[in-house]
Amino acid sequence: MKKTGFMLLAALALLASGAVAFAADTVRIGLSAPITGNYAEYGENFKYSVTMAAEKINAAGGLLGKKVEIVVMDSKGDPKEAALIAQKFVQDSSIAAEIGDFTSTACLAAAPIYERAKMVQLSPTASHPDFAKSGEYMFGIVGTQDAEGPFNVKYIAQEYMALKNVAVIYINNDWGHVTKDRFVKAAEKFNLKVTGEQPFMESEKDYAAILNKLRQANPDGLCVAAMYNEASLIARQIRKMGWNVKLLAPSSVFSAKLIELGGEAVEGIVTNTFFALEDKDPAVQGFIAEFEKVAGRKPNLHAACAYDSMMMLADAIKRANSADRTAIRNALAETKDFSGITGKLTFTKVGDIERKYKVMVVEKGQWVVKKDYTR
Amino acid sequence: MDYYVQTLVDGIAQGSIYALMAIGFAMIMGILGLVTFTHGEVIMVGAFAGFYALTFLKTGIFIALVAGFAAAWILGLVIELICYRRWPKGPDETWLITTIGVSTVLKSGAQIVLGTEQQLVPDVYTGFWTFGGVRILHIQVFMLAVLFLLSAALWLFLKKTKTGLELKAVSMDKTAAALLGVDVRRILVVGNAIGCALCGVSGVLLGVYYNSVHAVMGGSAGLKSFASAVLGGLTSIPGAAIGGVLLGIFENVGVAIFSSGWRDVIAFLILIAVLLVRPSGLLGRKGAEKV
Repeated sequence: MKKTGFMLLAALALLASGAVAFAADTVRIGLSAPITGNYAEYGENFKYSVTMAAEKINAAGGLLGKKVEIVVMDSKGDPKEAALIAQKFVQDSSIAAEIGDFTSTACLAAAPIYERAKMVQLSPTASHPDFAKSGEYMFGIVGTQDAEGPFNVKYIAQEYMALKNVAVIYINNDWGHVTKDRFVKAAEKFNLKVTGEQPFMESEKDYAAILNKLRQANPDGLCVAAMYNEASLIARQIRKMGWNVKLLAPSSVFSAKLIELGGEAVEGIVTNTFFALEDKDPAVQGFIAEFEKVAGRKPNLHAACAYDSMMMLADAIKRANSADRTAIRNALAETKDFSGITGKLTFTKVGDIERKYKVMVVEKGQWVVKKDYTR
Repeated sequence: MDYYVQTLVDGIAQGSIYALMAIGFAMIMGILGLVTFTHGEVIMVGAFAGFYALTFLKTGIFIALVAGFAAAWILGLVIELICYRRWPKGPDETWLITTIGVSTVLKSGAQIVLGTEQQLVPDVYTGFWTFGGVRILHIQVFMLAVLFLLSAALWLFLKKTKTGLELKAVSMDKTAAALLGVDVRRILVVGNAIGCALCGVSGVLLGVYYNSVHAVMGGSAGLKSFASAVLGGLTSIPGAAIGGVLLGIFENVGVAIFSSGWRDVIAFLILIAVLLVRPSGLLGRKGAEKV
């Protein structure tokens, strides 16, 4: 009995020393992502992208002369799990920084733990305006909802479409209200006249009355703040009533499904995105091809953001020339004009990114990049 | 002025779909003496039947309507078998609960079998007439024509055939009808199937008019048909037709005068007002059971 106990202890000691030795010649990065559960698809994309990025870094000689190693933990899309993972990561002194999580809620739940332990939490996708503000060590790269409204007004409605006035139809939920609100506020700022704003109910299929009402003021353009499925129906009803109005929409309509459902009615609709499969940039096409090889499907915007997160982190570690947690944070905060596949990225004071977008238009049944402000 | 006329036209078009749903609902309500919760799902199944006929079999709109009619008819027979037949003498609530159960199964099953994504229904009539600033689409007129034809056919059926008369008798008083030699069970099967089949047709129109079918489209459709039937007098078939068209007009005019956020508020406020003045609905019988 005594002997087995001793053996066990010895084995443990051996293991521990092994781990330490192991840690010494790698730079370890934690990845907290919903590998299973509701958001499994996105979590898997995170894993593929971050691993791909790490392999690429290693192939180019690694970081600080060491290999990068990704430690993946499954948060199941649950904020409680994300907090537990945070606890594990911060206690493991071999982990230099963390990437994740997917939802804003999970990120916010883990934020105080990372902040206390002075470890970077870099989220590829948290878009809540409060996330990056919640701590010195919190960074988000997807951009917040505050940037899209002004972009849609200034670059899409005014510069690209040359609209003088515009009406808004929006879905009657949280997202619809925020999107409409940011758009209308930006319109006031940039002197774009808003001739009317009308909500529609989520289950509603008949937009005739609403569209007729908005049509009375005869605006040049109509902003459709809806998901692609509703937007396609709205576009169809607009064409059926014979209204020749120019359409623009937030990035929620950027999907191949919009064209499939809307057909000719969505021809000419203008929206924005900062990651498009149609992008001709060789770096982006390279990423898409490689991702497809690994994952067996096309990457989405979230996968692209996860890839950029790892690359940015690596860039920061190189500049810090140290795997010290605080040194990494300081270097990361100074990131300026980092050239990622989702565009040129610079952190704001609070640690998020004011995104620039590409102007996307449906032309002959295809999404086409019309103007690119991301680079 | 054109604006209000246009709103009225769109309201009538939307109302004609509501009317068709409500007629089916009133029919079922009449013979069962109870509300059914499967209504929305029957509409959804009819819509999908029409959608498959139009897109995969490439049939015309008429065959699509027949497909919707037939699919919903068959579903009506199944619903009767599962929900009503096994509990002929049970308390009223039994039928309510069984229809809730079947509705849930249908809705969830549809999401598994038919998918959770919205499907595109192709246009059938794209033409239109213009009168000043008012545009009337051919499809709108077509829907109204379908409503009139089916209503007329139903009226003839109820007036001129033996089964029709028996249906009316059962709807008035089950016990008395049984005493006079009416096979109540058979009437229940037939009446329920006809009611469902009409809903199936309305589902096809719904899909074609809005270019979309969706596995969860039944919820709001069921609610609208119920509201229309209540407005018309619950078991009155002409009442349901009028109620449906009126509801469509109210909703559209509500948006035109106020704002679209008030759409349902206006429609249901009018509904409440009508019920306050005429508790049994516009064409409801005095003393009829109310919900």
